Amino acid sequence: MLDRVTVRVSVDGRPAPKTLLEELSLNLTERRIGVIGANGSGKSTLLRLLNGLVPPSDGTVRVDGADTVRAVREVRRRVGFVFTDPLSQLVMPTGREDVELSLRRSIRNAAARRAHAESVLDRFGLLPLADQSIYELSGGERQLLALAAVLAVDPQVLVLDEPSTLLDLRNRELLRRTLAGLRQQVILSTHDLELARDMDRVLVVDDGKVVFDGRAAAAVAHYRDLSAAGLPAPGGGPAGSGLGGLGGELAVPEQAGGRPERAGLEKA
Amino acid sequence: MSSHGLLLAAYVPGSSLIHRAPLWLKFLLVVGCGMASFLIADWAVSAVVMTLLCGLFLLSGAGPARLLRAVRPVLPVLLAIGLFQWWQLGAPTAARIVLNVLVCVVAASILTATTPVQALLDGVASLARPFRRFGADPERFALTIAIMLRSIPFVAGAYMDVRDSARARGLERNPRALVLPVFISTVAFARQTGEALAARGLGEPEDPED
Repeated sequence: MLDRVTVRVSVDGRPAPKTLLEELSLNLTERRIGVIGANGSGKSTLLRLLNGLVPPSDGTVRVDGADTVRAVREVRRRVGFVFTDPLSQLVMPTGREDVELSLRRSIRNAAARRAHAESVLDRFGLLPLADQSIYELSGGERQLLALAAVLAVDPQVLVLDEPSTLLDLRNRELLRRTLAGLRQQVILSTHDLELARDMDRVLVVDDGKVVFDGRAAAAVAHYRDLSAAGLPAPGGGPAGSGLGGLGGELAVPEQAGGRPERAGLEKA
Repeated sequence: MSSHGLLLAAYVPGSSLIHRAPLWLKFLLVVGCGMASFLIADWAVSAVVMTLLCGLFLLSGAGPARLLRAVRPVLPVLLAIGLFQWWQLGAPTAARIVLNVLVCVVAASILTATTPVQALLDGVASLARPFRRFGADPERFALTIAIMLRSIPFVAGAYMDVRDSARARGLERNPRALVLPVFISTVAFARQTGEALAARGLGEPEDPED
């Protein structure tokens, strides 16, 4: 359980340092948490903070009390991370070998390690593909394999950075069902609004800020409005001029249970 | 990405004599062939060693197609080296150099085709264990070998992809159009791999209690 994220992240840049994530303070305690937002909005930075892949410029991130900077090894044991492209995270040539690699630190005996790897692969229906090259697997099979390799060490929290982006409809559905069945806390970023709707709580990130934090349906509606506001009008008019009937203001329904960080947007 | 065009033969499950041979013996074969490539001065001896190794590879049941696949990526480079050496030092020397390189590739392929990667890593880790007293981490050592095995086909594949796209744009004769993108994608791959390893907690120093 992520008990505290109080951070700001910025990187060196020219002419001035660039802030990737504005100051924010969150307790992420729900079982299923989604992060949605446009490309480059800061979703991945937020997720990478949780596993210690990105250190905060200011503030702290703690996972069950363990600081992601000072106790990074402990944090990485507790928080598994799945990347968008499974090929960037699968290190070994076959699925069996990759899952075994995850287990090398925890299970020293080769036979026991192999048996455990097989049971993990079997749980995800990947045992028949265990000795196939990772390059011969479909996108969905690779993503499942990446998930299996991370879950093999039984983390408490699973963080997934846009896990369904490269998947077709069938594999997306398979991923949704798999995630729904996990006992781990799941925190994911996604552009797949169906997947976002499965979450107990969804954060909307825009331009390095969490602009909405609440229930999935309200968050998705907020994100849709936010995205529409950024589009040029069909006739090529200025951004935000295509809001039509909304009159330039994006209202978030009170009854949806959201905690909008920004109650409305002024028409540009 | 055609990065799965493996330079070394991938593991082929089996129970041949070579599969069952102890790992240290196979390591010794690879090291021996590496050293022999510096010592052998006669191309005929190189040819005999090469034939013996090809025989060993086929005895493992991995098949001639895999053998060909393992050596094919180095053939264009060897052709260039062979022609240059022929021009500079004559045919016998050129043949010896080319055959000696092939001997090393086939010996390494015998090891990788008949040894599961995990067994290879266990072997490397146990070979590196004596160096623990000097601060070396055997698991990191083994992981380095695994990453190296994974990276060779990636770089070869990146080159093939870049060559294809350069061809499509009519730039196949422009070395900058070939070298720079391969360099950039290799660096990006190294960063991605490092990040993935860090995220999975792999390659971190061992716990003292481990």
